[in-house]
Amino acid sequence: MAYLYPMKKVFFSLVCLLCTQIAFAQKDSLQIDEGNNYIYYRVVDKPSLSADTLYKRGWDFAVAFNPSAKPAKGKAESTLNTSGKFIVYSGVSLMRKEGGEINYTINIQTKDQRYRYRISNFVFKPYQRDRYGNMVPIPGIEVPLEKMSTKYGKKDTDNYLDQVASFCINTAAKIKQAMDKQPLVKKTDPIKKVSTENW
Amino acid sequence: MKKRLLLLSFFVASVFAASAQDTTKADPPLIISGSVDTYYKYDFSKHSNIPTSFASDNNSVSIGMIDLALKKKVGKAAFVGELSFGPRGQAQSLPNSDDGNSFHIQNLYVSYDVTDKFNLTGGYMSTFMGYEVISPVGNFNYSTSYLFTNGPFQNPGFKATYAFTSKVSLMAGIFNDSWNAYTAVNQVNTFGAQLMVAPVKGWTAYLNLLTGKLSGTEFDLTTSYQITDAFKLGLNAATFKPADVVGTGGFTGVALYPQLAVSKDVTFGLRGEYFKTKAGSYATAGPAPGSSVFATTLTANIKAGPLTVIPEFRLDNNKDVNDGFINKSGAPTKNASQFVLAAVYAF
Repeated sequence: MAYLYPMKKVFFSLVCLLCTQIAFAQKDSLQIDEGNNYIYYRVVDKPSLSADTLYKRGWDFAVAFNPSAKPAKGKAESTLNTSGKFIVYSGVSLMRKEGGEINYTINIQTKDQRYRYRISNFVFKPYQRDRYGNMVPIPGIEVPLEKMSTKYGKKDTDNYLDQVASFCINTAAKIKQAMDKQPLVKKTDPIKKVSTENW
Repeated sequence: MKKRLLLLSFFVASVFAASAQDTTKADPPLIISGSVDTYYKYDFSKHSNIPTSFASDNNSVSIGMIDLALKKKVGKAAFVGELSFGPRGQAQSLPNSDDGNSFHIQNLYVSYDVTDKFNLTGGYMSTFMGYEVISPVGNFNYSTSYLFTNGPFQNPGFKATYAFTSKVSLMAGIFNDSWNAYTAVNQVNTFGAQLMVAPVKGWTAYLNLLTGKLSGTEFDLTTSYQITDAFKLGLNAATFKPADVVGTGGFTGVALYPQLAVSKDVTFGLRGEYFKTKAGSYATAGPAPGSSVFATTLTANIKAGPLTVIPEFRLDNNKDVNDGFINKSGAPTKNASQFVLAAVYAF
């Protein structure tokens, strides 16, 4: 009976680990805007920096983030837009493959000592396997993220929403880095060297 | 109990390890995709009549194939290897080797992106010609058109593709002298080209050419237009002339594919095909030379996740009573009809 106590601890730890994983549904980071569309929206205070400075940093971010698309000035003052796409995957582990691509728009607006950004206009373009074994877009099929649940099952929808949210979280970190003007620091793991002198 | 806990711990750790690997930004994983398909066919003449590919067995629950494709891309270099097993994936779509065995290979090629717009590919590849394909996942109808059955299935060779924009690309390549063979009879001298244009959103058109001293010459137009979210229209037209050393004649045909999605999971589609054989010595899988056939196929695709159930009714009408159809009394007839119920699971 003595081994039951440590086993209980192990069992409890496993349950906690699973619960933590479930709680990390990243799609919860997405919000719904006034038009009932998915959006990732943040307002950030940046004391002591002017609107122009922040705008220039935002522009530099947009150019570096998506080199294939030139950013455009928005209609409102100190606003810029850029757009792009990323691949989302279906299945897990061994059966994971490209399920489609998500098109998006990033809008950044600056004021003195403050900026805000929104990542929105998510549109899913599903992929299918072509005759050569490649996953390619199905021509003419586009599904706004808000309507995914009407076209796909809950499991697929949640999976894609999680990936969109994950993209937004990563992009938000890059926007923050660019607006803070932090140099890109390459993470380098220290090289573990073995001593061959003492043996 | 300890063993069970240990196993459970190992399983949970594996799941998390796999999850961590999935989210890395490294090269994409080895991509595995494929399908299995099975069917039941009933020909109303009580024997198989309609001479198209696949769905060949009458009044029988039969198998199509298990198809398994592997793809890996590292940087700019990629390979695809696609294996198939079963009637559809062996004798009905693939050549045998010299000893009579099947290699089971539908695609086996390598490719390299020289730039973002320029790609080189070489190996044994599915043909670029035509609307329908060997994989049941790529077709709406389960039975196949005469144009598909009489066109090439595979073209081994080397091709270069340049994408001028996302709306225009051109492929040109040199292929083995004979279609549907793992090795050339003698030379690599069939020229192939494909012009792709996408004039408006949802509309793509492929103008294809395949010409060689042994393989003959085929012009092919394949186009599809997703006109609304629910309605799609496809068209395939082709004309073929065999090489002089093979024979005279050939074929011409056109097929129209309207499809209407009536709900998230149910789509109805019609295929209307006119296929004409030219007078000459070249025999097709279809009516005798100098004749024609009109084939109408009504198909539904009913989806349940990765599973598609395909009920299909088909009526073929030959021009001449002696073009090949036999009724249930054993007499020649102009008409043949069949019902197919197929199930295709894609993964």
